[in-house]
Amino acid sequence: MSETIRSLNIILPVLYAAVFAVYLIDFFKDKPFLHNSKRIFLFVTLIIHTTFLLFWTVHFDHPPITTKFEIFTVLAFSVGFSYFLIELSSDIRATGAFILFFSFLFQTISSLFIQDLLDVPEILRNRLLGLHVVSALLGYAGITISAVYSLLFTIQYKKIKLNQFGLIFNRLPSLEMMEKLSVNSIMVGFVLLTVAILIGTIWLPQAFPNYSMWDPKLVATAIVWIIYGVGITIRFTIGLYGKKFMFFSITGFVAAMLALAATGFIQSTFHHFKN
Amino acid sequence: MNLIGTSINHHTATIEQREALHLSKNETTEFLSLIRDEYFSDGFVISTCNRTEIFGIPKNPDLNIRSVQEALLNFKKIEGLTRDNFLSFFSCGAVKHILSVISGIDSLILGDSQIHGQMKEAFQLSIDLNFAGTIMRRIFDTALKAGKRSITETGIGEGAVSVSYAAIQVVEKIFSAFENRSALVIGAGETGELAAVHLKDKGIGKITIANRTLAKAEELAHKLHGEILHFDNLKGNLHNFDIIVTATSAPGFIINYDDVKNIVKKRRGNTVCIMDLALPRDVDPRADNFDGVFYHDIDSLGSIIDQNIKKREKAIPVVEEIILEEMQGLFSWYNTLEVVPTIKKIRDFFEEIRLEEVEKIRHKVHEEDLKKLDEMTKRLVGRILHNPTIRLRQIAESGLNYQEVANYTSVITSLFEPQTEDEHIENK
Repeated sequence: MSETIRSLNIILPVLYAAVFAVYLIDFFKDKPFLHNSKRIFLFVTLIIHTTFLLFWTVHFDHPPITTKFEIFTVLAFSVGFSYFLIELSSDIRATGAFILFFSFLFQTISSLFIQDLLDVPEILRNRLLGLHVVSALLGYAGITISAVYSLLFTIQYKKIKLNQFGLIFNRLPSLEMMEKLSVNSIMVGFVLLTVAILIGTIWLPQAFPNYSMWDPKLVATAIVWIIYGVGITIRFTIGLYGKKFMFFSITGFVAAMLALAATGFIQSTFHHFKN
Repeated sequence: MNLIGTSINHHTATIEQREALHLSKNETTEFLSLIRDEYFSDGFVISTCNRTEIFGIPKNPDLNIRSVQEALLNFKKIEGLTRDNFLSFFSCGAVKHILSVISGIDSLILGDSQIHGQMKEAFQLSIDLNFAGTIMRRIFDTALKAGKRSITETGIGEGAVSVSYAAIQVVEKIFSAFENRSALVIGAGETGELAAVHLKDKGIGKITIANRTLAKAEELAHKLHGEILHFDNLKGNLHNFDIIVTATSAPGFIINYDDVKNIVKKRRGNTVCIMDLALPRDVDPRADNFDGVFYHDIDSLGSIIDQNIKKREKAIPVVEEIILEEMQGLFSWYNTLEVVPTIKKIRDFFEEIRLEEVEKIRHKVHEEDLKKLDEMTKRLVGRILHNPTIRLRQIAESGLNYQEVANYTSVITSLFEPQTEDEHIENK
């Protein structure tokens, strides 16, 4: 099984790269035979990824959510799977390349640095922690997808305003559809991030009685949550539509990524609490 | 194929000349009767704003197409048109022209989708008047198939090539669904009407027409099951619409900068599309400065039309390939018509000999043996003629080489021509 896991770990970034390439080619060339085959290709990749995650869980006796590089592979899967569901439900097929790029990126980071971890600290073997991580990851997938649609919205908005009716104008969906997808993704992402924070606040004092409220990750998460919270509240109260809302989505995502980079990458796990 | 035709179209005549020669449906019916009596055994006439064309299979093989052209000019009592205003077609060229027209590659607006329906109507009229025999019907079927294939298999009809449709194409990139949207069309002229019809076709939730002449607004609104808005109440109601299309002949702006500012304020950030299809423009172009306002005029929409025309031009070679394929199919079928009588002649010739020989021994053998002999000779003749028959059909179906088919049939006919009784005696 160990060999299979190693092989899948190498194959997965290649598969995501190929899926990304197929979606990109279809975006630019609009080949009829790619319209359905690219979706099947993504589905197969997700099945293989699911197999990898199951094998990992069984072989190392823990789900891959304990180190940041384990988490990146789950994040890659979450983004890919969420996009797959969006494509199935909306039948919007031209935007896949822009979202699946993140699956490719996250999986590549994971595959390059992930290490076998047989001894998991007892403190990390906790159901609450599992729920916390899963909801946080799906939340991150939501805000990633929302940010991509926000960016595409902004590009399409500019194209229409500047009368640039070329390939991008033709291939991207309507502004209304992209705003809808972005808002829906952000709502799901925000709710799941909120759930993750709530579970974290329950689990954290149990696991680390001496934790600090000023842990960089907690502070960064709070800032990200506030940005999204403010944006969503303004949208549904005063009214925040179109380009302005997209700005909030992109800002929130950039803040979230900076928070990950600034805190996550200098620590071995997502958090660094002293027991 | 003895098909001939003549055409006066946008390549050869001015719009005034084409208009003068245009035949209404009643006139077309009347003219079809005339040419059926005088010139053709089968035929059809197509008359649109861009072309009037007459095609048919002449009763007299020596028919000069000039006679048909003159008949048309006399029918419409037109003077001043010369031979240069008419194109003439014969056989293969005639079929190719019919297929090119129905495929939209000969249209004034490249890839025009209306011509397919217009040709279909012309064919149907000919069929209804019993003016289309087997060959003509086969030409109709081939043409309709070529036209359909051109639309479905190529990009010849894709994208907007009219300013009204280009406007709707842009709106479609702003709003995903039209069912919950409301549109206001200001100006009930030709452009306004076309835009309104396109919006209706796209499933717009609510359509309202405003026009200085109320009667015209009412007429268009009635046609599209829409509402009317009095021109005097226009400015106070602009914010109620997601899409505003203007196409009036007003000399100045009917929606100025402050009006747009007011719309933005009242809509509280909700998107509005303003499509100005008028010349001179109806809306102050500074409307585009507002966030959430998408303003486009004829110039900006023109770039979409240019792009789409270029795309359609790229599809021409593919359409031409389809036309060639369909022509090959048609002429293969047609050539087999030429050899069918020859094949029948050989078979009759051999059958006659067989029957004569069987008859000779009828009284010399038992009835059972005669039956066997009859079946055996049938099989024998069948086997002897199998290969020549198949080969002759293959030659006929293999393509457009009419001369080769003619040579073969001529040789076979002369070799197996049944002789008359006198010739038979003479030879003896």
